[in-house]
Amino acid sequence: MIDIRQIPAESSLLDEKTKETIAGVFAKLTRDVTLKAVVDLNEERSAEMASFLACLSGLSPHVKTELYTPEEGAGFAMDTEHLPATGLFLEDSYSGAAFHGVPGGKEINSFVIGIYNLAGPGQEIARGTVKKIEKISRPVHLQICVSLACHHCPGVVIACQRIAMLSPHVTAEMYDANLYPDLVERFGIDRVPLVAVNGQDRFLGPRTIEDLVQLCRDAAH
Amino acid sequence: MGHMIGKKLEPFRVQAYRQGAFLEVTDEDLKGHWSVVFFYPADFTFVCPTELGDLQDFYEEFQEAGCSIYSVSEDTHFVHKAWADASDTIRRIQYTMLGDPAGALARQFGVLCEEEGQALRATFILDPEGEIKAYEIHDMGIGRNAEELLRKVQAAQFVEAHGDQVCPAKWKPGEETLTPSLELVGLL
Repeated sequence: MIDIRQIPAESSLLDEKTKETIAGVFAKLTRDVTLKAVVDLNEERSAEMASFLACLSGLSPHVKTELYTPEEGAGFAMDTEHLPATGLFLEDSYSGAAFHGVPGGKEINSFVIGIYNLAGPGQEIARGTVKKIEKISRPVHLQICVSLACHHCPGVVIACQRIAMLSPHVTAEMYDANLYPDLVERFGIDRVPLVAVNGQDRFLGPRTIEDLVQLCRDAAH
Repeated sequence: MGHMIGKKLEPFRVQAYRQGAFLEVTDEDLKGHWSVVFFYPADFTFVCPTELGDLQDFYEEFQEAGCSIYSVSEDTHFVHKAWADASDTIRRIQYTMLGDPAGALARQFGVLCEEEGQALRATFILDPEGEIKAYEIHDMGIGRNAEELLRKVQAAQFVEAHGDQVCPAKWKPGEETLTPSLELVGLL
């Protein structure tokens, strides 16, 4: 594991006001969340993410950051091909939610809410929706491709990752598509948000959590 | 000055020329599919065959997009035929060439120069209900680009299918990470 003490706990992405707001959300956390990030510190975005996470974990005793080299992270359940890759773990248990890239712009919202949903009281969700999520019985992998300026994207990321946190069969990974041209080519992305289900079916535009649950239940295998 | 977006096609009936044949075209023929109405000043001019040939070069792509093309000038359908007989570029055109000698169509679209009796170089994209979704109007000498027109048709079709609830992604490698924009109201 990379010694996080060598990472400056300062990020140009987080000004004092933003940190104060995030600290207010983190004050509601009741469990410990670990942000496990696989980074290549020789690469600009990974270094930026490492500082961002170091800064973030200083805002709450419930938020811990662990940094891993690509070699160390190779065995993680999340995709570690697209770096930086950050998984949300409830203590040592992978939640199924991960972020690829630096969650700046609008995606700061999905990152903060993802932590809140995992380790805090979480957003309200209908009991019926939870029941449907619990009935998902086959593996579903959601890849949510976004751009950081897209105001429709965080809602889709939050909903997909909420499903992942509530189902042991679902994983939901966000990608800042701007950083990963291979995904742009593979999925033919020219508009976002785009959700790829099990690497095959693609869905564009905002969707409710109920719609996304249905997509998971209908997913081709 | 008002704009034409959202304006519905009004009834019309004109004579037309297409691949050696004469036919009648009405407003109803432009319904049920996407249409491009492509005005140009006059047959037997120089820029026009270049533009019309450019449009023909992308005709297959427009067809694949489910979009019909109608070129229009203030000539008769007989003149269109004479032009096709005289010009290799015009002869290979597969789309319908409308004759508008009375100026009714050009007047309906607001592109008729009354003194010259010619239409401006204007292009209108109509949805399957005959509603104008996009248009461009050029002064006489300024040519148009068929590839860009195809992109606009496809963009209009995309918005029709998905609404405006998706964000266009203009990938710019090496772009800086955006400053976080925290907006948690309504999320907690």
